Amino acid sequence: MKKRAWFPRAVAGGATLALGLTLTACGGDGASAGGDSGTIHVLVYGDSANKVEKAIVAEFNKTSKVKAVLDTVPGADYQQKLQTVINTKQAPDVFFNWGGGSIQPFVKAGLLLPLDDFIKKDPGLKDNFLSSVFNTAVVDGKSYGVPMRGTQPVLMFNNKKVLADAGVQPPQTWDELIAAVKKLKAKGVTPIALGGGDQWPTLMWFEYLYDRVAGPELFTKALGGDKSAWESEDSKKALSMLKELIDAGAFGTNFDSVKFTDGGSPQLLASGKAGFELMGSWEYSTQQDASPDFAKNDLGYTNFPTVAGGKGDAANVVGNTNNFYSVLKKTEHPEAVAEFLKLMYSDDFVKQQLAIGNLPTTTNTTKFLDTADNPDYLKYQFDLVDKAPSFQLSWDQAYPPSGITPIHQAVQQFFNGQVDADGFIKAMQALPTS
Amino acid sequence: MRRRPNYLAGLGALLWLALVGLPLYVMLGATVQTREEYSAGGPLAFPRSFTLDNYIQDFGNGFGQYFLNTVVVTVSVVAIVLLLVPPLAFTIVRNRGRGTSGVFRLFLLGLAIPAQAVIVPMFYVISKAGLYDNLIGVILPTAAFCLPVCTLILTGTMRDITSDLFEAMAMDGASVRRTFFQLVLPLSGSGLSTIVVFSALQAWNGFLFPLVLTQSEETKVITLGLYNFRTQYGINIPGLLAAVVLSTIPVLLVYLFARRALVQGLMGVGGK
Amino acid sequence: MVSLTATVTGKRQTQRPAGRSIGRPGLAWALPATIFFALFAVVPLVLVAVLSFTTWSGLGSPEYAGFDTWARVFQDPVMIKSLWLSVLLTVLGVVVQTPLSILLGVWAAGPQRNRAVLSAIFFVPLLLSATAVSVLWRALLDPNFGVPSQARWLFGDGNLFGTQTAAIGVLVFVSTWQFTPFHALIYQGATRAIPQVLYQAAQIDGAGTVRQFFHITLPQLRNSIITSMILMIVGGLTTFDTVLILTQGGPGTDTTISAYYMYDKAFKGFDFGAGAAVALMLVVVATVISLVVVRVSGYDKMAGTKEGL
Repeated sequence: MKKRAWFPRAVAGGATLALGLTLTACGGDGASAGGDSGTIHVLVYGDSANKVEKAIVAEFNKTSKVKAVLDTVPGADYQQKLQTVINTKQAPDVFFNWGGGSIQPFVKAGLLLPLDDFIKKDPGLKDNFLSSVFNTAVVDGKSYGVPMRGTQPVLMFNNKKVLADAGVQPPQTWDELIAAVKKLKAKGVTPIALGGGDQWPTLMWFEYLYDRVAGPELFTKALGGDKSAWESEDSKKALSMLKELIDAGAFGTNFDSVKFTDGGSPQLLASGKAGFELMGSWEYSTQQDASPDFAKNDLGYTNFPTVAGGKGDAANVVGNTNNFYSVLKKTEHPEAVAEFLKLMYSDDFVKQQLAIGNLPTTTNTTKFLDTADNPDYLKYQFDLVDKAPSFQLSWDQAYPPSGITPIHQAVQQFFNGQVDADGFIKAMQALPTS
Repeated sequence: MRRRPNYLAGLGALLWLALVGLPLYVMLGATVQTREEYSAGGPLAFPRSFTLDNYIQDFGNGFGQYFLNTVVVTVSVVAIVLLLVPPLAFTIVRNRGRGTSGVFRLFLLGLAIPAQAVIVPMFYVISKAGLYDNLIGVILPTAAFCLPVCTLILTGTMRDITSDLFEAMAMDGASVRRTFFQLVLPLSGSGLSTIVVFSALQAWNGFLFPLVLTQSEETKVITLGLYNFRTQYGINIPGLLAAVVLSTIPVLLVYLFARRALVQGLMGVGGK
Repeated sequence: MVSLTATVTGKRQTQRPAGRSIGRPGLAWALPATIFFALFAVVPLVLVAVLSFTTWSGLGSPEYAGFDTWARVFQDPVMIKSLWLSVLLTVLGVVVQTPLSILLGVWAAGPQRNRAVLSAIFFVPLLLSATAVSVLWRALLDPNFGVPSQARWLFGDGNLFGTQTAAIGVLVFVSTWQFTPFHALIYQGATRAIPQVLYQAAQIDGAGTVRQFFHITLPQLRNSIITSMILMIVGGLTTFDTVLILTQGGPGTDTTISAYYMYDKAFKGFDFGAGAAVALMLVVVATVISLVVVRVSGYDKMAGTKEGL
């Protein structure tokens, strides 16, 4: 015992010292966080597109006295982290969102800054964007968001090599899709990669099939509060077709253990373990980041197949119209924020987005399509979106945020057989409508 | 007389060896391979090359910062515990008042409060106090939740100081403070080292408080860094597992050099 | 995680030997720690009760809602299911881990020569944080990029996170992997404390190893079994990190245990009132179960406080 006597004293002394030090050190931090002289925080969805946001922030910081700081949250956790932080003192000044239902609660809580004053000073903040896209972030007649990535239609991606090996053409119709599934399955590959663990990739199948079978009106009606829409014949037909696809083994059996957000399902497609993946246009930037050779040589894409006798126009698309930057009222540097937002229609921004396969919705985009890394892909997307009679916003972004979890659970349970069509219909009817 | 070895338990032990050893082997094996080699060979293949790139990349991806933050949190938590617990335990052991037994009961009750139970109001309080996304906001609750166990351990140690010694001190006319610094602290070495290890482990491995109470890169601790890495780059298995190994190295070092203190700290209770 | 074994230790304090009052610290010495603890543990616990009678979305301020929040929580089928799942997971944990850790602990207490080296490896899972353990196993068990892709004979299609049975199996397995060493340590200490005389007497009577194990070792380990079981119960009911990282409560809500459901309600669904109600229920259930175990076993009447290590 005796020889240990030095220990407690040393520890006690060290502890006092350390506590003093850390408290002063952290105290210093706290003060700068509170005053935040000269920084604006920009919170974005963490994924492979972040490199453009990083570059834009760096560019902004070159000339601005007020410095921008980019904070990213991994995609799968983005929405929950956003709502957690938005009402605290540490809320960002500018944040990424999907417009529509995703910002409505924040507008209602009076947290967001209407951008109309900014627009008065610089009409370009509105006029330089396609108005149909810009309007997605207009709530109660006021503008709350500036488009900041690209429009993101959901496309049917494929691995050209796998398809060629199995003698399959990219399907134009639903029947061809079913036939392709059977051929691929016989070859021993998973016909369609699905990140079922994330649940929203599963939802895309519902969105497209409902659109093809019933047209966009069914969902609009349901969202508006007419719950009978879910019980309609068209709704049941769409569900039975999905069921047929699942039962044909299109998605393999372990899709619930696979995710898109952690790179799982894209890797299945790139490595040739799967033939197709239905995904937003960001599949390209994801593949470019993770498997550049595959993105360049073997990544194919088509629109979702048509359905014979369906009411929906074959040219309709679903997806995200764009992502937006919205501004919090509490920001201490509105001028700097306005300057930052102006970068979202700069030539440089457009070129950088095009380089990673994103299609910005600015009016100058067409000028630069040819400069893109993959002009064909972008022109294809541009035409698709341009000619689409209807662009259906993702269901989970259209409903208020409290509906997200029930929607995700319902689609997952329908796919893994835990609920049947009736169960799914009931779950959708129980959703809160605005 | 020698007991015969227990074959039944021995069999279980062998099975356990495989169960623990295999994953650890796969983990270490994966971290020294390139991503390409790992995806080609799969997790069970024997690594053919050796690279430390995964570790270096992890440091580039912010794990250096996370490490530093975790060190700040750990040191601060240990410091708070060492400042608060010894005087408390001293009072509990030596003060006979009714108030003291009330205090002791309060801390015993505290043993039954899981951190999950208070995370909602903790979020409310910390964000109202303006400490959201600030390491202080993680340090304070983490330290508070170490107190019950640490108090229990240290009162156990201090009770073993015989009353003869206290009486001798009193005979010399020693003040309470002198008794504390010259008698109690020097004789509580083993208990003190146990609570240091216990609270350091709690702080180092803490996850729930940082998960809910922080958000930005500057305040990210290593467990949260692991979780985010898994969420966004889950299939970069070599990089991910290298991060797991990195997060464990400090604990491993303590295990190698101070195994006894670590085991007692791990056990929390019973560290007499 | 560390339990109520302490309640027992606390009892000793009333019979402290009398001494002179000189050199005894005043209550002021205990004040800083008490205030600090009250502020960061007791106040939040009271607040959790208060919040459970409000609705709060994280935006704006909590609003009083009376028993509405509680009514809503109890009408939620997922909530009821989560309680059952918590209990199921806890019971499975106890049933699987107890025999394993007894065997391992008794073995580690023995005199074998290779024991030191092997037990150094055995206890490595203890060193990893729950986060690290979960991340490790999620990577190892990935259906396409982990071990199942190479061991189809064992894992089939590797859909370990897609069915309830498999997902629960994974959760039980991972927590067993992580916590068995801890409980084995408890048994190791206790086994070493068993007087050798008992074994010598048994050997003279001609009892074999197995008989000795069942007639001497196990009965002597009774206290440790109770300690370890209380720790498992409280730990099991509050399992969180593992579920968040491995299954996110899925598939569907099939592994949504109460502790995760609380987090999900509060920090994903932004219904902090309901989250608080579930949290409060969790505290009550864990405390009640522990007290019942202590009562039923008569553990509170025993004096043994040393069997931990």
